[in-house]
Amino acid sequence: MTDTPKEHMVMEHLVTLTYHERLTENLNRYADNLLEGRIIGAKCPSCGRVFVPSKGYCSLCVVPTTEADEVEVPDTGIVTGFTIVSPVNYYGQKKTEPFVFASVLLDGADTTLGGMDITGVPHSELRSGLRVKAKWKPREERSVEGMSNRGWGGFGDVVESFEVTGEPDADEETYKEHLF
Amino acid sequence: MPATDIAIVGFAQSPSLRDANPSEVQLLVPVVTQAIEMAGINRREIGFTCAGSCDYLTGGPFAFVSNLEAAGAWPPISESHVEADGAWAMYEAWMRLQEGDIDIALAFGSGKSSPSNPAEVWAQQLDPYYLAPLGVDPISLAGIQARALLDSGKATEEDFAKVVVNSRRNAAANPNAQLKDADTTVEALLAEPYFRTPLRKHDCPPISDGAVAVVMARGDKARELCSRPAWIRGMDHRIEAHQPGVRDLTSSPSTALAARKAGYDGGPLDVVELSGTFSPQELILLDALGLSLDGDTKVNPSGGALAGNPIMAVGLVRIVEAAARIIDGSANRVLAHATGGPLLQQNLVCLMEGE
Repeated sequence: MTDTPKEHMVMEHLVTLTYHERLTENLNRYADNLLEGRIIGAKCPSCGRVFVPSKGYCSLCVVPTTEADEVEVPDTGIVTGFTIVSPVNYYGQKKTEPFVFASVLLDGADTTLGGMDITGVPHSELRSGLRVKAKWKPREERSVEGMSNRGWGGFGDVVESFEVTGEPDADEETYKEHLF
Repeated sequence: MPATDIAIVGFAQSPSLRDANPSEVQLLVPVVTQAIEMAGINRREIGFTCAGSCDYLTGGPFAFVSNLEAAGAWPPISESHVEADGAWAMYEAWMRLQEGDIDIALAFGSGKSSPSNPAEVWAQQLDPYYLAPLGVDPISLAGIQARALLDSGKATEEDFAKVVVNSRRNAAANPNAQLKDADTTVEALLAEPYFRTPLRKHDCPPISDGAVAVVMARGDKARELCSRPAWIRGMDHRIEAHQPGVRDLTSSPSTALAARKAGYDGGPLDVVELSGTFSPQELILLDALGLSLDGDTKVNPSGGALAGNPIMAVGLVRIVEAAARIIDGSANRVLAHATGGPLLQQNLVCLMEGE
């Protein structure tokens, strides 16, 4: 073996792939309604479950849902689960103080909204079962930019938070099948 | 050779569309349901499911997971996924059926090319040292192959145009085809300008979105579900060197070998459906199979991949198109081909017969 140093070639290969995607018709209607302060989902014509937002089909019955199956759900619901995130300074992280990431099951819905902020209660008192209501942003500040067909569709940037209402906590039996 | 008789008993496909608004799963939901309904089975009778798609095309990690919702994955099912055309998903399901403990399997393939720039995406499947950093796109590569074919004396630009005429005219009768024209002529095509010399735009496939599904069944179960099943006599896939520079781009020995291993002996075929996504490739594939556009075998009666190219579905669409002609009684012996990788790198052949 020789001790002669050899060159390590480093080759940078930076890849940029760009995708342009229109919202599906069902998500487009959902986004339009969010901007107006209304939340719509799709009620499966087979099992009756309500998906918020609509995926355009029921993933359990595998039947398509159409505009005719869409229903409005109220902006009130239940915290089914949560975490408190202590932000580290990674790229893109704008938060500096611990914040809430909660799942909210809207009344009449069978799917939860993820990543919601919960206000009106100290972090130490956050719990599953809390009753909450959307605190909408003013109409002109609402945005659905960044909403995409991928994943669960999101909730855009239309509310400040879900605020605790002060009603008695929901019974676990009413939401234990809908944690995520 | 299969240890047991397996046949296609149900199938469905979406139209090939330039820019479909529904999500990939939304395209799949009715297609999978129609294939299951054609087979006349209950979804829960399916013993194994395999899907083919490409996350690079969808543009998201684990994008294939949501496609599974089209199969109905609750309560849990036995399933698998290939990052390949649905034809390879069908191959895996066909292999799984041969174990003999299940009677019915489902395979599907789907892809939406419209949100991406395919020239960017498909450069990424090339080797990461020499070709991918150059950003060589599929059309430029196909141009190199077309030039090699012309230089070899095996084909002329007129031959390329004849492939396109066959495709456009056949596609005119196919409701799922994207590009069709019953009145196309070789002269008119040759009068078009070059796009990537020596290719003209019509020598290249369209950008397409689409989905396709098949239901296969074993032995007597297949006979019970379908009055004339498309029996899979053999299926095989072979691969060539990844680096296009080290192979003869004007021939496809992997296709010839896959066809032989699938049981094709050169005997008469009623129909052949080929995934030649560029017109010169169809000539290379025909040559590998010992066939020609002027022979007794109907070549791409659906119009083939030049008439609609929903990547990750297009190869399984060829199998479905060929199987459909057995099931409807208009053909008795058919061969279908699917491909993956740059310039016909990997090739799959499926030989099917009626009984």
